[in-house]
Amino acid sequence: MSEQTTRSHKAEKVLERMGQKLNRQMVGSLLACVHCGLCTETCHYVLANPGDPTYAPAYKGDLIRKLFKRHFDWTGRVFPWWVKAGSVWTDEELEELKDTVFGKCTNCRRCSLNCPMGVDLATFNRMARGLLVSVGIMPEGVAVVSKDQWEIGNQMGVLKEDYLETLEWMAEELQDELDDPEVDIPIDQTDCEVVYYINPREVKYDPRSISDAAKIFHVAGESWTMPSEGWDMTNFGLFSGDDALGGSVAQRLYEKVSELRGKRLVISECGHGFRSTRCEGPNWARYDVPFVMESSIFTMLRYIKEGRIKVDKTRNSRPVTYHDSCNMGRSCGMFEEPRELLELVCSDFREMHPNRAENYCCTGGGGAMSMSEYTPRRLKSGIIKANQLKETGAEIVVTSCHNCVDGLTDVIRHYELGIEVTQLVNLVANALVIEPKVAIPVEEVVEEMVAEALPLAGRTILVADDEPDQLEYLATVFEDNGATVLRAVDGDEALAMATSEKPDLLTLDLEMPGKNVGEVFQILRENPELESLKVCVITGRPELRKLIYDRSVRRPEGYLDKPVTEEQLLINVRKILELAHDEAAAGAEGTP
Amino acid sequence: MTNELAEGILINQTVVRLNRADVTDLEVDAFVFYAQPDLALGSGFGGAIAVRGGPSIQQEVEELAPVATGEAVVSAAGKMKAQHIIHAVGPRFQEEDIEGKLRTTMTNALKRAEEIQVETIAFPAMGAGYYGIAPDLCARVMLEVIKGHLEGETRIKELVICVLDTPQHNAFKTELEKSQ
Repeated sequence: MSEQTTRSHKAEKVLERMGQKLNRQMVGSLLACVHCGLCTETCHYVLANPGDPTYAPAYKGDLIRKLFKRHFDWTGRVFPWWVKAGSVWTDEELEELKDTVFGKCTNCRRCSLNCPMGVDLATFNRMARGLLVSVGIMPEGVAVVSKDQWEIGNQMGVLKEDYLETLEWMAEELQDELDDPEVDIPIDQTDCEVVYYINPREVKYDPRSISDAAKIFHVAGESWTMPSEGWDMTNFGLFSGDDALGGSVAQRLYEKVSELRGKRLVISECGHGFRSTRCEGPNWARYDVPFVMESSIFTMLRYIKEGRIKVDKTRNSRPVTYHDSCNMGRSCGMFEEPRELLELVCSDFREMHPNRAENYCCTGGGGAMSMSEYTPRRLKSGIIKANQLKETGAEIVVTSCHNCVDGLTDVIRHYELGIEVTQLVNLVANALVIEPKVAIPVEEVVEEMVAEALPLAGRTILVADDEPDQLEYLATVFEDNGATVLRAVDGDEALAMATSEKPDLLTLDLEMPGKNVGEVFQILRENPELESLKVCVITGRPELRKLIYDRSVRRPEGYLDKPVTEEQLLINVRKILELAHDEAAAGAEGTP
Repeated sequence: MTNELAEGILINQTVVRLNRADVTDLEVDAFVFYAQPDLALGSGFGGAIAVRGGPSIQQEVEELAPVATGEAVVSAAGKMKAQHIIHAVGPRFQEEDIEGKLRTTMTNALKRAEEIQVETIAFPAMGAGYYGIAPDLCARVMLEVIKGHLEGETRIKELVICVLDTPQHNAFKTELEKSQ
């Protein structure tokens, strides 16, 4: 067969840049594979798809290796047929490569750990992702998240005003909870011992983890602050392979800590955020970091050991297990500290097997949660994790990674395991022993209880869901908390009622009969009369997120996975409505 | 974080500033959005425009799409601090003739600005960052076009270049210092 002679512009650029990206570590991995097959059984994709060789790490590696051999290694130039060297010629071939490097590997590095030759597939798989991204070939979700992080500074496109309002709101919640008006979430304080960095998911979907951390810092008497800008410690450059993005994000973060003269950068529980910030970032950014960087796991553990906080492990009495995040564990070696902390704050900890470096990926690694086109195959591979979880007998799985929280939640729901997912910060906050201050007069307590009893009073919420049980559950929670609730059971009804009744909030199931929910969402968003309508997606089908998020209209203000607890529901809905209230107030103030 | 040249330099009668700021959140007559040919706002600055400006902007630009690479169109800015948005479709991801296309895009963005008689305008580092144009190339081409334009007849009194990070800042600072 004669070899094709004209190469597409993109293919040309991919090969050109590949030459610039090769380093000794990568070349070693590209040359060393002897196809012994020991990696095969280590991959959760392979184990879940035993009849499909295209998931085998060696096969996936060969798709990249053949390019290296053909263009950068003498053996491939002289004996291409012998060493299976090959090239890439068309944009279609690049698309096929995309399907493998993004859709069939989470860069979890379990195969690397088990390779007797030391081949690190994840390293050159990431390089291949970066080459494709550089010519604009990537899953839609990768494009969306990358652009958000480049331009807005965080992976979820959270605007500065929303971030600051959320922190302010969480500080108010904490003041109420601790009955202490002095409690605060300080912003941009200089010369603090700790500058605390978070994942934007915490602002958007899990603000409780911010107030839990603030509570721990407060009780420990820490001198701490959060930054107003450059506050996202996650780094999509690790997943997309875009080293420039990796360096830009890391440098913005380091520069802000330096500007604040912070002594210690504390990274909230996020596997890839920790790895990117602590381990990879200084190299990507070529930045000599002048301060200490540590995971909040270390910080919390230190507070307990130093007696700065007291904990009561009996407050977390349900059986828990621990999922080692690939980035936190396998790539950064943090295995024992989270277990030590768990033993201090939980009374029934059970190991998952295999664990530590041998643990399996949650299925959401490598940015997989953003690539909805691959959700079915991701969930299929989740059977391995599901079996691991089930065998522990635990009611709660703890993980120190926000990606893993989402990945595990998806797997647990898909395989109907009924296990709760949480993080160490939540367990430590729950176990905190806080000495009561002074007794409050009974009348004041009653007044506060009445005021707090109906947090949604005066709000109208339209609940759109076709499952009667779910509809009633959501409606009851909202009604019990003072809201006026409207109910819709299909897309047409949701559209009609939202248009005519103009509720404050619409909770939207993604899979309902009648008009396509994505179209309903777009029509509502494009209606100028409904500009103040807030939308919270509540779904059991995360793969349908494309219906909403791929549309070029303003995104929903909230997103929750089913099953959703009453606490999660209320905290998120209150957050969305508090922001709505503040925006309306700000708008009114600005009106002449 | 360095923010030198925020005070700006004078090119002919126009002050040109370099700023670390969100280009979509400035009080200017117009800002430039580095758009896609279908003018979908999408994520990043597009997401910020959709949230801060309201749905009318996307509706307005849908009537104007598609737009060829190098061209620029104008929309209102909804509820944003700016009055207008210039949607300029520039080169993306190592495509052919980046320099030529970027030059054309800048020229057309400035033409649109003059047509709507803006006095203050903000630009992002066009195509740098997500679309992968090297900051050095971006800064050189942008400032060559800006300088050429401002040396002619113009209503623009203030032009702000908004950068995202230190590599972009340093690239523009070097080029601006050459213009002094």
